[in-house]
Amino acid sequence: MKTLSIIAVLALAIILPFIADIYLIHVVSTIMIFMCLALSWDMMLRTGQLSFGTAGFFGLGAYAAIIAVDDFNVNPVMSIFVGAVFAALTSFGLGIAVLKLREMYFAITTLALTSVFTVLARNLSDLTGGAAGKILFNAIFDGDPKKTYWLILSFTIVVIVLSEIFERTRVKYAISSIRNDELVAKSSGINIFKYLLIVFVITSAIQGAAGAIYAQQYAFVEPDSTFSANFLLLPIAMALVGGIYSTIGPIVGALVLGFTSEYLKLLMPYGHLIIYGIIIVLTVIFLRKGVYGTIMEKIRSK
Amino acid sequence: MATLRLENLTKHFGGLVAVNNVTFEVAEQEILGIIGPNGAGKTTLTSLVAGTLQVSGGRIVFEGKDVTKSPAHLRVRMGISRTFQTVRPLKDFTALENIMVGALFARGESLGKAKERAYQVCQLLEFDRAERYPDRLTVFELKKLEIARAIVSDPKILFLDEIMAGLNFEEMKQMINIVRSLRDRGVTICVIEHVMSVINELTDRVIVLDRGEIIAQGPYQEVSQNRRVIAAYLGEEG
Repeated sequence: MKTLSIIAVLALAIILPFIADIYLIHVVSTIMIFMCLALSWDMMLRTGQLSFGTAGFFGLGAYAAIIAVDDFNVNPVMSIFVGAVFAALTSFGLGIAVLKLREMYFAITTLALTSVFTVLARNLSDLTGGAAGKILFNAIFDGDPKKTYWLILSFTIVVIVLSEIFERTRVKYAISSIRNDELVAKSSGINIFKYLLIVFVITSAIQGAAGAIYAQQYAFVEPDSTFSANFLLLPIAMALVGGIYSTIGPIVGALVLGFTSEYLKLLMPYGHLIIYGIIIVLTVIFLRKGVYGTIMEKIRSK
Repeated sequence: MATLRLENLTKHFGGLVAVNNVTFEVAEQEILGIIGPNGAGKTTLTSLVAGTLQVSGGRIVFEGKDVTKSPAHLRVRMGISRTFQTVRPLKDFTALENIMVGALFARGESLGKAKERAYQVCQLLEFDRAERYPDRLTVFELKKLEIARAIVSDPKILFLDEIMAGLNFEEMKQMINIVRSLRDRGVTICVIEHVMSVINELTDRVIVLDRGEIIAQGPYQEVSQNRRVIAAYLGEEG
């Protein structure tokens, strides 16, 4: 039953470009990018570390990809790997310093990193185009939205599989133990720092790749919009609404909030953010474990 | 060769000396009692040996190797294990999964093997609530879970920090049998305990700590007559 529904959803996702109009393809593409960000944020949260660096690594990946294509003639598809690797290397270096911190000190430091990246992007004008940003001359797949959609779908599947690996292998036992009780984790033989660093690097690479794809899709980067807090706050909202500490939660959250926000946008072009905000607040208050988490809890308590 | 040797072990917390120049050995398969009034430094000593606290001075030698600087997760893998005075179950895991964690990381076993091993440990401890989450276990079961998690890594030395606290007489008897059976399987054991009847029944030898220092050591019968020990427990007049 479960396998069947997964195959059905996957099949639908693959054939969507043949049955949907350009508008829907675009909406679903964007939702999937945010879904990947939500998953990556949640994967870090599963270690107990609240990261506010999502937008920062997203932006780094976006810049790295556009610079790679424009200045180094890298193939656009390859530039996504460039974005991922650049974010991964940066997070590895920073992680060694930052992952000694915990709780709000870690959260605030990662938030500050995003500001640092933005300032660098604005001021390293020769490389980044400064405040005006940078335009991509060669759009990926010559701007074909269907091919871009499949690229994003493939990436999303990779992220979902990664998240499931985090859920089903010994990694789960390591990171959940760290989240629950670091003292016990240590005393059970878990190398806490190693796992935190691995997870930080992997999730940052996902964020970097997502940024790279997004930059390819929109064909420009600019400090304020590329490092926008949207790429932090929306994924967090999606994970919270869907349910944290799981793969299915952020997926559900991204779909629910993604489509709701599109629908509300059509309904009321200016006021939709208010409703959107209210939905998030209500979910966080009344469904503490998110939509999926609440359902699972009901099942477990039976 | 002694399983564990502590040489001039010292721990300061700012100006407070929690453990002061403590030197002793634990022989293989010995059951050593560590007693002393509250705040004597018993749990601090355990944390120093387990590596969750860093020493201020002195050396910890385990099976001939100096482990003073080894991180905690490596010490578990070498064979130093401990339980926590206040039970610390991982609340997002079932009891079985709690136990599996130690097999997975302290022994580097696969998921399947770890699960099998966790079940074996449950059997050994007569713990039959393995599928439950910790919030649905009794105090006795939680204490057993603490021990299960500590022994699943197959330790050579085991520190049991107040495992009798909160147990009734019957449960204590069971616990004593568990500790004995562990020793018979080759584990060296240090019990930190306030229940003196248990110390009397279980230990080969005791060490008495007061304000971070060893004030007496020897068989319990002997130590319990010691004037300094009585004074430490009852106040200076005793």
